[in-house]
Amino acid sequence: MSSGIWFPVANTSDLPHRHVFQGRLEGRELAIWRADDGHVNIWENRCLHRGVRLSIGTNTGAELVCQYHGWRYANRSAGCTYIPAHPADAPARTVRNRTFPVLERYGLVWTHFSENTPAEPQPVGQYDDLTLRPIPIGAPGKLVWEFLSDHWDPGLGLAASDDLSYSNGTATLKLFLQPADSNRTIVRGLFNHQEADYDRGQVLLHLNTVLSELRTRIENEAARRPAPEPLIPAYVPVSAELAAMPERSVQTGMIRVHVARKTSAGEGVCSLELTPVSGTLPSFQPGAHIDISLPNGLTRQYSLINSPLETDRYIIGVKRENPSQGGSEVIHDTVREGDLLAISEPRNNFPLRRDAESTLFIAGGIGITPLLSMSAALNNQNLDFAFHYFTQNRAQRAFPERLDLLGSRLTSHLNLSPQQTSAEIAGILASPSADRQVYICGPGPMLDAARSIAEKQGWDEKAIHFEYFKNTREIDDSSSFEIALARSAMTLQVPAGQTILSVLRENGVDMPASCQQGACGTCLATVLEGEPDHQDVYLSRSEKDRGDRILTCISRAKSKRLVLDV
Amino acid sequence: MIRLFDFDLSGNCYKVRLLLAFLGLEYEKTNIDYYPGRQHRTDAFLRINPLGQLPVIEDGDYRLRDAQAILVYLAHKYDHGGNWYPTDNPDLIGEISQWLAFADQLTTTASAARLESAMFFELDGDAARAGAHKLFRILDAHLWFREDAGADWICSADEPTIADIACFPYVALSEEGGVSREDYPAIRRWLDRVKRIPGFCVMPGVFPAGPAV
Repeated sequence: MSSGIWFPVANTSDLPHRHVFQGRLEGRELAIWRADDGHVNIWENRCLHRGVRLSIGTNTGAELVCQYHGWRYANRSAGCTYIPAHPADAPARTVRNRTFPVLERYGLVWTHFSENTPAEPQPVGQYDDLTLRPIPIGAPGKLVWEFLSDHWDPGLGLAASDDLSYSNGTATLKLFLQPADSNRTIVRGLFNHQEADYDRGQVLLHLNTVLSELRTRIENEAARRPAPEPLIPAYVPVSAELAAMPERSVQTGMIRVHVARKTSAGEGVCSLELTPVSGTLPSFQPGAHIDISLPNGLTRQYSLINSPLETDRYIIGVKRENPSQGGSEVIHDTVREGDLLAISEPRNNFPLRRDAESTLFIAGGIGITPLLSMSAALNNQNLDFAFHYFTQNRAQRAFPERLDLLGSRLTSHLNLSPQQTSAEIAGILASPSADRQVYICGPGPMLDAARSIAEKQGWDEKAIHFEYFKNTREIDDSSSFEIALARSAMTLQVPAGQTILSVLRENGVDMPASCQQGACGTCLATVLEGEPDHQDVYLSRSEKDRGDRILTCISRAKSKRLVLDV
Repeated sequence: MIRLFDFDLSGNCYKVRLLLAFLGLEYEKTNIDYYPGRQHRTDAFLRINPLGQLPVIEDGDYRLRDAQAILVYLAHKYDHGGNWYPTDNPDLIGEISQWLAFADQLTTTASAARLESAMFFELDGDAARAGAHKLFRILDAHLWFREDAGADWICSADEPTIADIACFPYVALSEEGGVSREDYPAIRRWLDRVKRIPGFCVMPGVFPAGPAV
C-alpha cells in the first residue's frame, strides 16, 4: 500500500492517561490510545458495529468502549470482549478491530502500512530529544517538502545539512512529514542539543512560530492549485453473522506460549502464567478455557483465571489430582518456567451475563478458576456480586491474593461435610429471583446437589449456570444404533463400545471435540430425529428433555436411529 | 431561586448550566423553544430580552442576559472559593476577559456553522467553518504551550475559570457544524479535562469522558 517506512503519527505527549487520540495516515483514520499497562494501541478509527469513530469512545485503561452501543475492545488484541445487546453471548473471537504496528521512539509514536516491517527510524542525535509541537498543514506532502527544501531557514543558526535535517554544530533539527491525506500533511520534528541547559521552552516556541509562518505561505500556495481528491482507504467490514453469534469450531494447539511463571497458588495447586511467543494473545471471555497440549501427548482443558483485561497473558490454576490421569501430574512435576507449550484459542462454554442485577458465584475447591475471571470482569464494571467459596481448609483456598481483592463480597466456607455443604447451598439459594444469575463450579457431587436444590427451591433453570470440569458418572456404552447424517448424506453404524464421535472421524467427517467425556460441549450436534441417550454433564435437564441436541463424544441413542444435522 | 431561560440544544445556555452544576446551585428552567419553534422571536420573550437571545437569568428581581455576563455574575456572587472568577489578580482578570471575548467569537463562527448545518439557519456555513478553524488553531497552540508548562487550563490559574466554561460548549459541539477537531490534539485533551471536573454535566451532542482513575 505505501512505501516501507515508519511514519510518526503522534507525539508521546498526545497519549495521556485514559485519552484516545484521533490520528490519520494516508487517508486512514486512526484511534491511538495508551492502556494503563503502558501499551500503545493504533487501531482503525471505527467501531466494527456501526462505523462510529472510536476516538470519541472511552479509554477505560484496559479496553476502548464505543460511545454508540458500548461495544468493548481489548487492549493489544482489539478483540471485541462484550456486546451489551447480547449480554448472554460471547462475541465471536474473530470480531476484532484492525490494528497497526506500533513503535514508540524519541518522543514520537510511529506506524506503517507496509507488508514487511521496515527498518526502525534512526535517532537524530545522541542527546535527549525535544519533540516539537506538530503543525498540520492543508497541503500535499510534496508541496510542503518543496517549501522546506527551498532554502527554508529555521533560525537558531541552523543550516540545512541533509534532507529535512538542519544543524549548527551543537544542535540538530530533524523534521518528518506525516502524509495524513492527499491534501493534509503534518510536520513533526525532533530537536537534539548537546548542552543540557538550553532554554527548551524558547526553542519550542521559536520553531512553532517559524513553522506556523511557513504553513501560512504553503497554504496560500496550495489554495492557488486544484486540491487533490482525498485518499479513500479500503475498509474490511465484519460479517453480520460473525458479529451476532459465537464461533464454534476451534483448532487446538495453534498458539505457542512460554511458561513465564510457575508458582504455588494454594495447597496442591500450581499456577502457570502463559505469555505469547510472538504477537498478541486472542482476547477471551470471563469463564473461558483453553486446551493445553502437554509434553506427554495428552490434551487437557483449563479455565483462565485472570481478568479478561489482563491481555498480555493467560493464567491457569491446576490442582494435583490423586490419582492423576496424567494431566495435573505432568504440569506439577514436568512443566518448568521457560517451557514452550501449544495451546488452543480460548473458548467459552460458561458465558457470563452482565445484565443481571446481581450475580452469585458458588465455587468448590479448584472449581473457583473460571469464577475468579468472571468476578474480576464484574468488579471491573462495578457490577454487584457475592462470592461463596467451599474448601476443606484455609490453606486449600486457591489464589489467595486474588481472593483478597474480592473483599467483603467473599464468604469462605471451610471444612464442611457433604450434608453441611448442601445445607449451606440451600441457604445461599434460598430466594430465587429473576434478576439474579448464579454460576456454580466445583466437584461433580457438589454440582449435582446444587442442581437438585435449585430445582426444588424453584429457580429458573436459565438463571443457574453450571460448569463441570469432568464427567464422573458411569458411562453405559453397550447400545448399538444407526446414525444418519443429514448434511453429509451418510448413514453409519455405531457399535457398542464406540462413540458417535469416533465413528464420525473414522468416516472422515470432521467434528471438533475437546474433553471427550461429555463436560465441555465442544462436540455438540443438533438432533433432527430420534431419541438421544444423554450421558453428559454439559446439557441442562430441560435441554436434555427437549432431545434436540447431543454431545457426540459420550451420548448415544435410545432409538434405533438418530438423524444428526452434521 | 435562580431562573434560567433555557434551550437544551443551546451551547450558550449550556455554559450557564455548567457553572450552576459546578457550583451545585439549584435553579428553575423556563424552556424557550429556539428551534424549531423560534420562540425567542415572540413578543413575550422580546420583553424579557429585546436582543432575542438566550440565555437570560433572573435572580430575584435582578435580570441579566448574555452568557459571558451571566458567568461573571454567578461566579462572583456564588463561588465562595473564588476559583472560577478570581478577582484579586489584575493580570488574571484581564486574561479571563480576553478569553470570554474569544468565546463570543466562537459563537459567531463554530456555533454559526452548527446553526447552519444542524438547524438550517441561513448563514454562510463555509465562512463560519473557516473562522472556527482559525480560532481553533490559536486555542490549540495556546493550550499546547500551557500543557508544556505543566498547566491544565486556559488562564494562568491553577484551577479552571469561567473562561474554560465559556470556551467549552461550541468547541465540544463543533463537529455538528462540520468543524473537525482532528488537527487540534491539545484542544481534544483539554475537552477531556473539562469533562472530568467534578459536577460536570452533559448536553445532547457532548459525551462524557470516562473516569480518569
